[in-house]
Amino acid sequence: MNKRSAKILVFSTEKISDPAIDMAGLLKLHYPPQVYTIAIRCSSGIKPKWIMRAFEKGFDGVFIAADGSDCSFGESCIEKTGSIVERTHIMMKEKGLEPARLRMAAICSVCSESFVKQIKSFNELLIKPEN
Amino acid sequence: MQKEPTTLSFDALVIGGGIAGGEAALNLASNGYKVIIIEKRLSLGGKMIMLSKVFPTLDCSACITTPKVSEISRHPNITIFTESDLTSVEKRGEHDFVAKVTRRPRYVVAEDCTACQLCEEACPVIVKDQFQYNLVGRKAAYIPFSIASPKVAAIDIENCTLCGACEKVCPPGCIDFTQEPRDYVITAKTAIVATGFKLYDPSNVPRYNYGEAKNVITSMQMERLLAPTRPFHTILRSSDGKVPDKIAYVLCAGSRDDSLGNPICSQICCMYSIKQAQLLMGALPMADITIYYIDIRAYGKGYEEFYEQAAGMGVRFVKGKIGRISEKENGNLTLRYEDLASGKLKEADHDLVVLSVGVKPNSEPAGLFTTHKLELDSLQFVKQSDPLLSPAKTTIEGVFVAGTATGPKDIPDSILSAGSASTEAICYLNQ
Amino acid sequence: MKKKLGIYICACGGNISDYVDIEKVKDSIKDEDCVILAKTTMFACGDSNQNDMDTDIKENNLSGIVVASCSPKLHLSTFRAVSERAGLNKYNYVHANIREQASWAHSDDKTGATEKAILLVKAAIAKARLAESLEPIVIESKRSVAVIGGGVAGLKAAISLSRMQDEVFLIERDSRVGGKLHELDTISPEQLTGKELLNILEEDIKNEKNITLMTNSEVVGYSGNIGDFKLKVNISGSQGQSQKDINVGSILVATGFNSYTPADGEFGYNQIKNVITLPQFRKLLRNSNEKLIYNDKKIGSIAYIYCVGSRQAKGDNKYCSRYCCTAAVQASLDVKHKYPEIQNYHFTKGVRTYGKQELIYKESNRVGDIYIQFLDKKPPVVTEYDGAISIKAGDLLSEKKEIEAIADLVVLITGMVPDKDTSLGSLFKLPKGRDKFFNEIHMKLRPVETVIDGITIAGTCQGPKNVMESVNSAMSAAAKSHSFVSKGELELEPIIAYVDKSSCNWCNACSEACPFNAVSMIDDGGKSVATINTSTCKGCGMCLPVCPSDSIELISFTNKEMESMIDVLAK
Repeated sequence: MNKRSAKILVFSTEKISDPAIDMAGLLKLHYPPQVYTIAIRCSSGIKPKWIMRAFEKGFDGVFIAADGSDCSFGESCIEKTGSIVERTHIMMKEKGLEPARLRMAAICSVCSESFVKQIKSFNELLIKPEN
Repeated sequence: MQKEPTTLSFDALVIGGGIAGGEAALNLASNGYKVIIIEKRLSLGGKMIMLSKVFPTLDCSACITTPKVSEISRHPNITIFTESDLTSVEKRGEHDFVAKVTRRPRYVVAEDCTACQLCEEACPVIVKDQFQYNLVGRKAAYIPFSIASPKVAAIDIENCTLCGACEKVCPPGCIDFTQEPRDYVITAKTAIVATGFKLYDPSNVPRYNYGEAKNVITSMQMERLLAPTRPFHTILRSSDGKVPDKIAYVLCAGSRDDSLGNPICSQICCMYSIKQAQLLMGALPMADITIYYIDIRAYGKGYEEFYEQAAGMGVRFVKGKIGRISEKENGNLTLRYEDLASGKLKEADHDLVVLSVGVKPNSEPAGLFTTHKLELDSLQFVKQSDPLLSPAKTTIEGVFVAGTATGPKDIPDSILSAGSASTEAICYLNQ
Repeated sequence: MKKKLGIYICACGGNISDYVDIEKVKDSIKDEDCVILAKTTMFACGDSNQNDMDTDIKENNLSGIVVASCSPKLHLSTFRAVSERAGLNKYNYVHANIREQASWAHSDDKTGATEKAILLVKAAIAKARLAESLEPIVIESKRSVAVIGGGVAGLKAAISLSRMQDEVFLIERDSRVGGKLHELDTISPEQLTGKELLNILEEDIKNEKNITLMTNSEVVGYSGNIGDFKLKVNISGSQGQSQKDINVGSILVATGFNSYTPADGEFGYNQIKNVITLPQFRKLLRNSNEKLIYNDKKIGSIAYIYCVGSRQAKGDNKYCSRYCCTAAVQASLDVKHKYPEIQNYHFTKGVRTYGKQELIYKESNRVGDIYIQFLDKKPPVVTEYDGAISIKAGDLLSEKKEIEAIADLVVLITGMVPDKDTSLGSLFKLPKGRDKFFNEIHMKLRPVETVIDGITIAGTCQGPKNVMESVNSAMSAAAKSHSFVSKGELELEPIIAYVDKSSCNWCNACSEACPFNAVSMIDDGGKSVATINTSTCKGCGMCLPVCPSDSIELISFTNKEMESMIDVLAK
């Protein structure tokens, strides 16, 4: 792939990571506009088929801005979100998709800088010619 | 002619419809109490609704004020009297207050007005627009400002020539020159004073040359220049239309100065000046902006970071005391100042000088209470009888105070003090 | 029936329209399926636009609304209310965030921001087409509030709540209430000491019948929702530990702050004799009589170094601690009162006695205290000097020359840092700000609420505050918590999971995934299937991805809704 920015779908969470992404905007921490966010309730509620659908429809990458240890629904969120990524990676391999195109990181409610850093590095990875 | 005043009863009387009064009213109303707000001006929203953006988040002020104001005006438990004068409040006993209120006529039937502005177009009279802090003119038939609440026309009867042009064009025919002041007697069980502050008038300080030098303006005028509902669609000197590129801010204009009768710090000027400087850097990327200060008081949550951000953007901060501001032929200004870092007297040229005017007390509420004394403090703000443990209590039991009536406050602190006043009022009502 | 959608695109007074071409956005979406009306507006949240929306909904019989404006955290509820007033079920309203996540995030790329905004609005339209009317879940709300922390904020909040006729559990981990009031001497503007304030508050508490005071108590368990929280409290007493369960409608957190502890060697702390912190100094002052003596040395001069642990040029604490300038000036005035012969030197970064507190700064100047404003580049250097202490710093006011003062005692004006016990914040999952204090939802719109519905914050656990400010925030938080519990019932969002019984073949995976025990097995005509308990489901969605037959959906986040949004955004 040879373009300046990849098309990335971000799954954020209403109470934790979406506020951080909002704050990135507030602080004018720029990131590529080809990054689109859908806010859900909790990162452990993402169905792998939604992620697969995103790839199928043309997204270059999917980024899960996970609740991590801040999840208000419980500690098991970390493990469960991890297992969603694991299972999706297997499905991706079966379809011949590079697993690196799905990335997850915990983004706390004020982790704006970390979000932008993650997205920029993910974007760099995705636009590398070998991908 | 109205013979008998109309009598109305409420749980709480809120005096002042700015952001503090509004917040207090909402808190009471959402807990089931019936509230009346008495507002002197044509619109709710006080000074906040006139601001551009607010520090330290740079949210637009209107984005916070207008939905609040909308919520207030739609709340079934809240009655609003704008353009109304409270003339007296009598306390007959605990939970028994009687207020006299006069509603001044708008000369427009508010319920029928659609804010179409045709009256404004038709009116031949042009006067200074006080809502734009005299930067531009308005008509004698006018809507106060675009986000006013209620958004209803009014006739400025003092300047109106009674030519009748507005009456002819008004589609619903709601202009009514026969309206007369109406008197009300309002009973309430508790009262909240939220009468706000006055802006310092810099024409009291001859060395600032305000009112003489055309390009010396106040920070409130700059707020209007920057606001989304601004009079021009860009930042310019209203005297000659030039876009300024060397702007100075003079902090503590009328504050921290015993000789001007205002020894205290106004608490908001440092931050709003830093905010305006950031907004100006965005609007006029090539402009130089210098802030002349004594101390920068960036004390609140996120404020220090906001100050650092402004310095990082290139706003110049000069610790200096301002002497005379003199006007040159081209309208530019020479600012004499004592550079506190070197101890030397210096001069600098600017093409626009903004005076960061401070907060003056509004002592009017003291005169309203007839049977009991609403005391003022030594600075003429409403006195807090127990400032540490019950900051909203006044010297009259059952009368509480919210917002800047007790002294300078920024918006978050005004809102918290309004929450405090409403809690006191609910506790009192439960006694 | 086909939806009829109305779309409003907000300029936000330039916040959006300066970077996003909103007319272009409107033109790009106005012909989308189901869209029968598309408008741009200066302020979508303004009263006049709300009126327009009301009229539009009624006149055009709209069955769905999209507003593209700021973050839903600001105005989702505003526009839901507009829909409701106009007779439209509020769940037919969908919000698109084109400010924080388009115009501001991409203010460096106007074309990119506009293209993104178009897709975000289209995705919201896709969701609005599928949105369904929902009824909120109405629950009974307990008329009780747990106040956690018995400092000045917690005490005032508890007293206020009790006077508003709510049952209050005041939970304090220490053996006595009062918190930092025990350490405070004169507090401006009233010239009362912390002890005196505490006496008044304790007297008030005694007279309140609705307060259950629990000292030596710590919250260790937490479950439930707004209106019905369940807390487990460990109480340590003389007979050992006991545990108590309490049930409340709202929780008010007022856990306070810690004073910053300087590192060893920070301005000579713990390395040079007679370098102490402000709390240590106050204690010394309190316990001194005719003479001020420390480490056997009679004190003739004191240097105060400000902003220790705050406004750090190198450390993490970038914020201003707000209360300490006034506290330091007040302490130095107390010194002057008691020991007029002592000379005070203040090394500051600019004195922040904001508002009326300026008066005590003036007083301090009047009594002859010396103020030196040091530069970040040349902060004070503290060394031992001939039995006393030398403080050298670059002075802003004398052309950045170095100034030296010799003092018998150095007081480090230490700021506020968040409570080092973070267990409560972790238990409730309260988000923290960049300064690590608990964060409110919005400083001006919802200043005492947290993202956890029903949990409010008050006092210095939210950020530095003085006593008066803490009390104001406590009473505001009390008003908010009271409003959660005062009506006896509350409406909750009906965002919960549901099971497609036809495809479910009970396997227990969802039940295992659910952290709230909301899934159980029932018999459905001879077949075992899962069912969701609507009153315990919190709508997290953890059960969705584990279902092997994809038989569980989350209301308003269904496969159809999610996939239609993904499809639009992928274009």
